[in-house]
Amino acid sequence: MGRIVAVGKESTLEVGQRVVVPFTIFCGQCFHCSEQRYSNCDNSCPVEDQEVAEKAFGHPMAGMFGYSHLTGGYAGGQAEYVRIPYSDVVPLVVPEDIPDDRLLFLSDILPTGWMAALNADIAPGDTIAVWGCGPVGLFTILSAFQQKAGRVIAIDGVKGRLAMAEQLGAEPVNYHETDILDALIQMTGGVGPDAVIDAVGKEAHGFSVDTIADRVKQTVGLGQDRAHALRQAIMACRKGGRVSVPGVYGGKADLFPLGAMMQKGLQLRTGQTHVRRFTGELLDLIERDVIDPSFLISHRLPLDEAATGYRNFRDHQDEWIKVVMHP
Amino acid sequence: MTLANWARYGLAATLATAAGGMLIYRRQPRINHDAAPARSARHRRRFGDYRVTGAAVTVRATPQQILACWRNNAALWPVLEFLPFPEGHQDDLLLPPSGLRDMASRPLLTRIVTEREDELVAWRSEGEGHADMHGRLRFRDNGDKGTAVEVIVAVRPHHFASAWKTEAMMAEALELGLLRDLRRMKMLIETGEIATARLRPDAV
Repeated sequence: MGRIVAVGKESTLEVGQRVVVPFTIFCGQCFHCSEQRYSNCDNSCPVEDQEVAEKAFGHPMAGMFGYSHLTGGYAGGQAEYVRIPYSDVVPLVVPEDIPDDRLLFLSDILPTGWMAALNADIAPGDTIAVWGCGPVGLFTILSAFQQKAGRVIAIDGVKGRLAMAEQLGAEPVNYHETDILDALIQMTGGVGPDAVIDAVGKEAHGFSVDTIADRVKQTVGLGQDRAHALRQAIMACRKGGRVSVPGVYGGKADLFPLGAMMQKGLQLRTGQTHVRRFTGELLDLIERDVIDPSFLISHRLPLDEAATGYRNFRDHQDEWIKVVMHP
Repeated sequence: MTLANWARYGLAATLATAAGGMLIYRRQPRINHDAAPARSARHRRRFGDYRVTGAAVTVRATPQQILACWRNNAALWPVLEFLPFPEGHQDDLLLPPSGLRDMASRPLLTRIVTEREDELVAWRSEGEGHADMHGRLRFRDNGDKGTAVEVIVAVRPHHFASAWKTEAMMAEALELGLLRDLRRMKMLIETGEIATARLRPDAV
């Protein structure tokens, strides 16, 4: 987020305006944008980069800030200055009287958690299991309760993060100490969670046969994704339940329990976040003090210490939950 | 083992391999290329003397708007690679963009030969260029998604590997380039600009 310092000739923004910029770049004009599927935009990824994603995924992706050449090779937003393409539609102009800390996460992880909960199609009173209590997982838990979940079960192996999940009202389960499938069956009276959410993605940790096999395949270049959390989530989900996947996957994963998906009649929904679709609604919740996303911030650093922040975020997950950098 | 035995076994092995090969060859399913939609037939890159390639996109615009962009939008022409363009000419002459110029050893001029309103524009090469080229832009209503635009180009090299470098590579480059051209045109029509990740694009 930041302030507008210069505008292009077609921009509807004004110099000095305070904006939050979604990580997904979209044109606002194509078929997908017209249906608010902004992360599927046809036009925001430069033509020369579309072929890479097309080979990998069958279709090109939208442009995204700081997300490799699969998504257009746009430089990331952790910088002093950022050029915002399609600035007449992409940024969200925000009020002056709300602190940065409460608005910043509208750019990415708060809408991601919100969309993850929406994709779980939560009915009032439902039991939701969330794998991963990182920043996205924690916002998913927050969003699930906002969307009237009755219970949220949070699964992770980092005690500090499980403690934060518990503060949000979730029931923590540590996978280092617990057989997750057994626990979920017992906690739900033999039924299983109504919906499961994989907020882990392609870098699942843990010591299980499939994770070790994934690691070996990654090491020798035979596989890309470690999909243990997703496999476990599908196995745990109740019959006729929903599977939501905000966690990022980039390649192919085998040992995928397709039989369980089919035989239990599960529905799977996933995707890069259509950030701008949710920012208005979430800004309203922030303005009315219904939610305060700043609880997530554990550290603040100047921009030139970004590498330290990333290192600690990787090595000390118990304490380094979310780092905010100030230019 | 004597030399005669070696020869006998060798002959038997050769005959067995040949018979096996024949059996496998004959068990290949007969492919009806006409059953495959558009240019999707397997193991089929040539149609008669012509190599046919193409690409398709859907644009949220009417055929008239798409044609108007192709005919009159000066921002489009410099970024085209393989799609010939009229550059505002009134005499149906189309100019070859950069990729096509690099590929042919002589200038490849094409001229519009058929136009059907809201449906089709077709062209073919003329003069002493080293290749014979036919092409067409075809429009089809794609419901609420917009207008499907398909470009198909059929090329017959007059002198293999002299006018056109390696033919297969040329066809692949042509197909990719045509898809890029259509995508650039789509961007220009839908958003008024062609996406770039450069920090200081010329547009600002």
